[in-house]
Amino acid sequence: MDNEIHTLLANIWFFIIGLMLFLYVVLDGFDLGVGILSLVARNDKHRAIMMMSLESIWDANETWLVLLGGSLFGAFPLVFAIMLQTLYIPIMVMLFALIFRGFAFEFRHHARNKAPWNQAFGVSSLLAALAQGVAFGGLISGLGVTESDDQGNVRGWFTPFAALVALGVATGYTLLGAAYLVIKTEGAIQRISIVQSYVAAALEIVLVITVVIWAARFNTYFAARWADKETGNFMNFFLILAVFAFFMLMRALQKRFEVRAFFWSVIITLASFTAVTIGYYPYMVPASISLLHAASSSKTLIFMLAGIGLLIPVMLVYSGYQYLVFRGKVQMGQHAE
Amino acid sequence: MEVLPDPVFLSRLQFAVTAMFHILWPVMTVGLSLILVVFEWLWLKTGDVDNYRHARFWAKLFLLNFSVGVISGLPLEFEFGTNWSRFSMMAGEFFGNILGYEGAMAFMLEAGFLGIMLFGWALVPPAIHLLATCMVALGASLSVFWILVANSWMQTPSGTHLENNRVVVDSYVEAIFNKNMPWGVSHMWFACLATSLFVIGGLSAWYILKGRNTDFFLKSFRVALIGVIFVVPIQIYLGDSNGREVFANQPAKGAAIEAHWTTNQEGTGAAWNLLAWPNPAEQKNDWAISIPGVLSVLATRDKHGQVQGLKSFPKADQPPAIALIFYSFRIMVGVGIFFLGLLLWTLVIWLRGQLKSVLIGNNRLLLSVWVASIPLGYVATECGWIVREVGRQPWIIYGLLRTRDAASILPVSVVAVSLVSFLVIYSILFVLFLVFAARIIRKGPDLTLMPPS
Repeated sequence: MDNEIHTLLANIWFFIIGLMLFLYVVLDGFDLGVGILSLVARNDKHRAIMMMSLESIWDANETWLVLLGGSLFGAFPLVFAIMLQTLYIPIMVMLFALIFRGFAFEFRHHARNKAPWNQAFGVSSLLAALAQGVAFGGLISGLGVTESDDQGNVRGWFTPFAALVALGVATGYTLLGAAYLVIKTEGAIQRISIVQSYVAAALEIVLVITVVIWAARFNTYFAARWADKETGNFMNFFLILAVFAFFMLMRALQKRFEVRAFFWSVIITLASFTAVTIGYYPYMVPASISLLHAASSSKTLIFMLAGIGLLIPVMLVYSGYQYLVFRGKVQMGQHAE
Repeated sequence: MEVLPDPVFLSRLQFAVTAMFHILWPVMTVGLSLILVVFEWLWLKTGDVDNYRHARFWAKLFLLNFSVGVISGLPLEFEFGTNWSRFSMMAGEFFGNILGYEGAMAFMLEAGFLGIMLFGWALVPPAIHLLATCMVALGASLSVFWILVANSWMQTPSGTHLENNRVVVDSYVEAIFNKNMPWGVSHMWFACLATSLFVIGGLSAWYILKGRNTDFFLKSFRVALIGVIFVVPIQIYLGDSNGREVFANQPAKGAAIEAHWTTNQEGTGAAWNLLAWPNPAEQKNDWAISIPGVLSVLATRDKHGQVQGLKSFPKADQPPAIALIFYSFRIMVGVGIFFLGLLLWTLVIWLRGQLKSVLIGNNRLLLSVWVASIPLGYVATECGWIVREVGRQPWIIYGLLRTRDAASILPVSVVAVSLVSFLVIYSILFVLFLVFAARIIRKGPDLTLMPPS
């Protein structure tokens, strides 16, 4: 009985961590995506509008990463420790990129020459996205952690597969960023964002399918889960959902359904992410650390549920309220001081 | 130096660099957000538009400060995993849980209302705006609470036991309300208030000295002064109490703070070293200016109270760098006493009715001292943290886990590169912050600004 409760709690926390990761990926994803797109903005006016669209929210979006980190640390300390230690290099690159990005964003307001700050913002957005992708790719290829060597290898993440996943993550962020800009902008910049959404979506769907096939080819556990009738069906369902969302996105873009286009790009992200997660479940570090092995005691999981889990709906409400207050197209000079 | 190639030492150095840099910003975020609440509330209550303009003006500095705080804080949480993985594996169940609480209760709240507070003046009604400002301030203060809960548990761990080398919580009440927690939380919170008040007071004094908008900045100077009247005496009381708690629960740290080597014999009082040069190799002070009997009173409130000396601990359990701990403590206390003196001096001037725009010009020296005091709160806070953290060594969790056994096993090259990167990036960040903050300050407030109708 105690064991069953513990298993349930560990699974609830696995779900919550997944939810936080998903929220982070969508929210900071579009944020980083706008940064990546700012690298190819046609002129400084466009670039200024793009950055203005993030002004009131980038900090809140990044905070989901802090919450995700703390929650993972408390609920699955073993995964937190081994993952971060082994992924030392990509995590540090991500942190440096996020630091650069944050201060490029804030300091450009006060700078007389804005061009270098804009450039720094775009480059560090891209770097952060790639580092997160490499880290995620490294994680799902197992980090080189084995039963006998649970320290892992500090260079174990460096695989072609991780590079492919990194490309997928950066493309996914770009898609979310372009779809967000479709909502927040109008005129020429919106038309460009629509074209970018098409291209990024097409590339993303190809990358997701390649990642899944590659994972199945080289990871026996993942392949077995996919071949299994029950779990395989779930995975196929989500993969088909991703493809379906892709077509719905195309249609929404064509008809200029702005919010719907963003919605379907979120569904592409959610469906691909869920399919991959099912493929590795219940492993958090594939083939070595399962969620039960890593979970804290029931007492801690319950305490965390009371203090964090129950607050998630509240956080969503006030975060949502902030989006509501700042809804609508970006106006130049709207928040000028 | 033999220690340099040691990855554990590099990880310690990296954590010290990132933590000491990071703490500069939240100190101001916590204090200034409360000051912003005061100005906004004063505006709504009195209708004096200057208070609205104060809220808008200081909010510019707040935003710049807050942003650096957020981006420099991000690495800290991740470093527990990257550089201190064995600590994280062992203590994550409690420590990580508390960091998660901080994220959920403090940071999300802060971030969720920050946009409205800074950019939403025209978009929401005044009451909602005030609520947003209050929530940002509450979030900032809650983060002090949870971070100091986590840190105080590392000082005086309780409410937990070890199972298979992993910390398991027996009682959350005991673990959260551990012995050091009430003092740790309150001392740090008041440090944030004091530092921010002296920054606001000091900057206001600078404008008054320059003859820029004297009436306007006398208002913020008075707000800061009134704050200081309450904050400084309470902070001195808290520091003193915190000190006695340290002697009771972390005697080796207490002895290091005072460079006290030999336990006093029964029936005698321990001498207090005003200044000394500790010599750990010979386990004594090379020289010392001491006052007999005073340490027993300070540490125990008893004339003959026993104060354990450093020599009663095995060398392996003594904190390193005793001179650093000893002098950091003295600088911190010195700043506290200096603040008290400045407060009394300013009160005298105030009681003489000189804090008026026509008369304030007679007190240029006083104003200059206020300007010079701007960095002192930060200095005291950093020194306090040095005492707190270096004094806990060689333990990462006092009595439970040694720092040496807590670090990740990493190649030296990897840690060296990240350490140097942090040093370079943070130096640039620090200089740029000063440049841009100076730009905001030089530009000054917009006194034509009207509240949105």
